[in-house]
Amino acid sequence: MKVRHGFAAAMLLGALGGCASQQSDEQVLDAARERFQTVKENTDVLRSAPRDVLRAGESLARAERLATYWGNGSDVEHYAYLSRRYSDIAWEHSQAALNQDRLAKLQLERERLQLALREAKLLSVQQQGQWLEEQMVSLATETERGLVLTLGDVLFDTGHSELKPAANRTVLKVVQFLQLNPKRIVRIEGYTDSSGDREENLKLSRARAQSVADVLIDLGVDPKRITVDGYGEAYSLAENASSRGRAQNRRVEVVFSDEKGKLDAPR
Amino acid sequence: MIEKRLLAIGLSGLALAGCAKDPQPVEQFRLSEQVLQQAKAVGADDQVEELKLAEDKFARAKENMDDEDYKRARVLAEQAELDARLAEAKVLTRKSQEQVDELERRIERLRKQVGEQP
Repeated sequence: MKVRHGFAAAMLLGALGGCASQQSDEQVLDAARERFQTVKENTDVLRSAPRDVLRAGESLARAERLATYWGNGSDVEHYAYLSRRYSDIAWEHSQAALNQDRLAKLQLERERLQLALREAKLLSVQQQGQWLEEQMVSLATETERGLVLTLGDVLFDTGHSELKPAANRTVLKVVQFLQLNPKRIVRIEGYTDSSGDREENLKLSRARAQSVADVLIDLGVDPKRITVDGYGEAYSLAENASSRGRAQNRRVEVVFSDEKGKLDAPR
Repeated sequence: MIEKRLLAIGLSGLALAGCAKDPQPVEQFRLSEQVLQQAKAVGADDQVEELKLAEDKFARAKENMDDEDYKRARVLAEQAELDARLAEAKVLTRKSQEQVDELERRIERLRKQVGEQP
């Protein structure tokens, strides 16, 4: 049969030149079958690109059907090509879908880690708070009344109650300390030396304590956490005979509660 | 002479049977054109082998259309369509892979900051 039609076949192939190429039908079919086999057995591919898998199968079946008729070489090749393309497309879609699944999982992982990082940073701020607390302790003194920070006489002008800018650093530390220790409260106590009028001294001591409280409130400390007292010339730290002793006695003390908010009773 | 011509006509008619009598693949051309545009829209360019194939085939399909060789025009246009679809799919896969890689890098960085072992 083939020998007898050899001439005609050669003529036909020549005529079809552009449509047909001389690759063996079986070879192209095998390549398409193999590719189709791979995708149709892959559950990921079936799940994400069922239509492309179906078309790969249809095109392959068509190529196989055409291969049973003589003289359809170019069509066999064409449909085998389409089948392989559909298989490849299905495969690519499945890879993209797997990547999308992976992206969703990674996104969750990323959020988890971001949360963990935020917590770690918060912890470090708390640790910083602890550090600040240590600083506070060294700045202040632990007394039987609790932690007491003393703002010395040099931070006020004589006879005036306004806190001088030199006190800013200390005040900021107090504010930060109170922000990091939200349960702690303070009592701000003013003291003077014994020179001058007792009543005036009482008023001045209270005004100075109040001016410290005002600065803290300005900086965001809740006024409810602050009480203010003025003791005038009482509770002196040193004798009032010398100017040095008097200077020591002129002061404002910030008494901190413990971390639970328990404050020593006022004097 | 006449017999020879008849034979030639007969043979060419037989040979072209599959090609010349095909209808104009107008719809297929429209589809291929659209798919090519879409592939380019998602970012496929000449760097993507399949897109280059698709464009070459579609250009040849147009020539065949002009020559009224509708069968070859259709075959090439169909192949161009699927080449372009594959190009598009590959670009999308590559992009999603890049996103995965990027996210993995970010996660890696986060892990280091958190001090967590992967």
